[in-house]
Amino acid sequence: MSPLKKRTVEPYVREFIIERNDIGNAGTVASLTKRELKNRGFSREFVKQITIGVYEAEINVVIHSYGGKATVEINKEYIEITFKDEGPGIPSIDNAMTEGFSTASKYAIENGFGAGMGLPNIKAVSDEMNLTSSEDGTNLTIRFYVKGNSYAS
Amino acid sequence: MRVNDLLKDPDFTLINQSDINKEINNVFACDLLSHAMGFAAENDLLITVLNNINVLGVASLLEFSGVVFSHNINVNDAIIKKANELDIPLIRTRLTTAEAVVRVHILGKSN
Repeated sequence: MSPLKKRTVEPYVREFIIERNDIGNAGTVASLTKRELKNRGFSREFVKQITIGVYEAEINVVIHSYGGKATVEINKEYIEITFKDEGPGIPSIDNAMTEGFSTASKYAIENGFGAGMGLPNIKAVSDEMNLTSSEDGTNLTIRFYVKGNSYAS
Repeated sequence: MRVNDLLKDPDFTLINQSDINKEINNVFACDLLSHAMGFAAENDLLITVLNNINVLGVASLLEFSGVVFSHNINVNDAIIKKANELDIPLIRTRLTTAEAVVRVHILGKSN
């Protein structure tokens, strides 16, 4: 980045509604978050890690839940994305965290999802991941800390 | 190798309108999108039989150089239209996925 070009550093908070089974719009949160991060001068690798995490979590809400919302927060210390859905919840988080374990529907599988890699991928890319779930809904928070090498050189 | 180098092989046909100067660094074959999200990289050429619009979502987010549909899979107009918007080359081949991987690898060595 040119030293003359000033980075956008203002805090950013944006909320997105995610509709159940809305496969056609799946990826919107990831795509718009990626664009915002690139505009802020973050490195390609840092942006990629966040994009993967957001996309996987977004897909989970689309294919597994009754619908929900995502909140994206960007500040000078971290990028945090929270996903809250309206159920039916994850019966076993231990199983869900296991690579290859999947409860995806036929509809999800026909659309290329259901590899059982979603949550393991999210855990692998994020600095912190907090997942709680009940029949009333699942809350997932992922956080990526801004480090010295998070910006493009 | 660039996408236009691949298209010199008659077994690979471009089926949309997009930038064919994109560089291909590697090839990745997969029909499950979370595997592609987890393991593929920027400027990979994705080879798949998954003729689904979500392929383009992943291709766009990870900045693939293009998507090859193997086994002469039919690709619907909605996918082609979306790929034009996203400027992602879509290529069809009669080859199987495994044959296509090998062919791209061989072409990559000579370009």
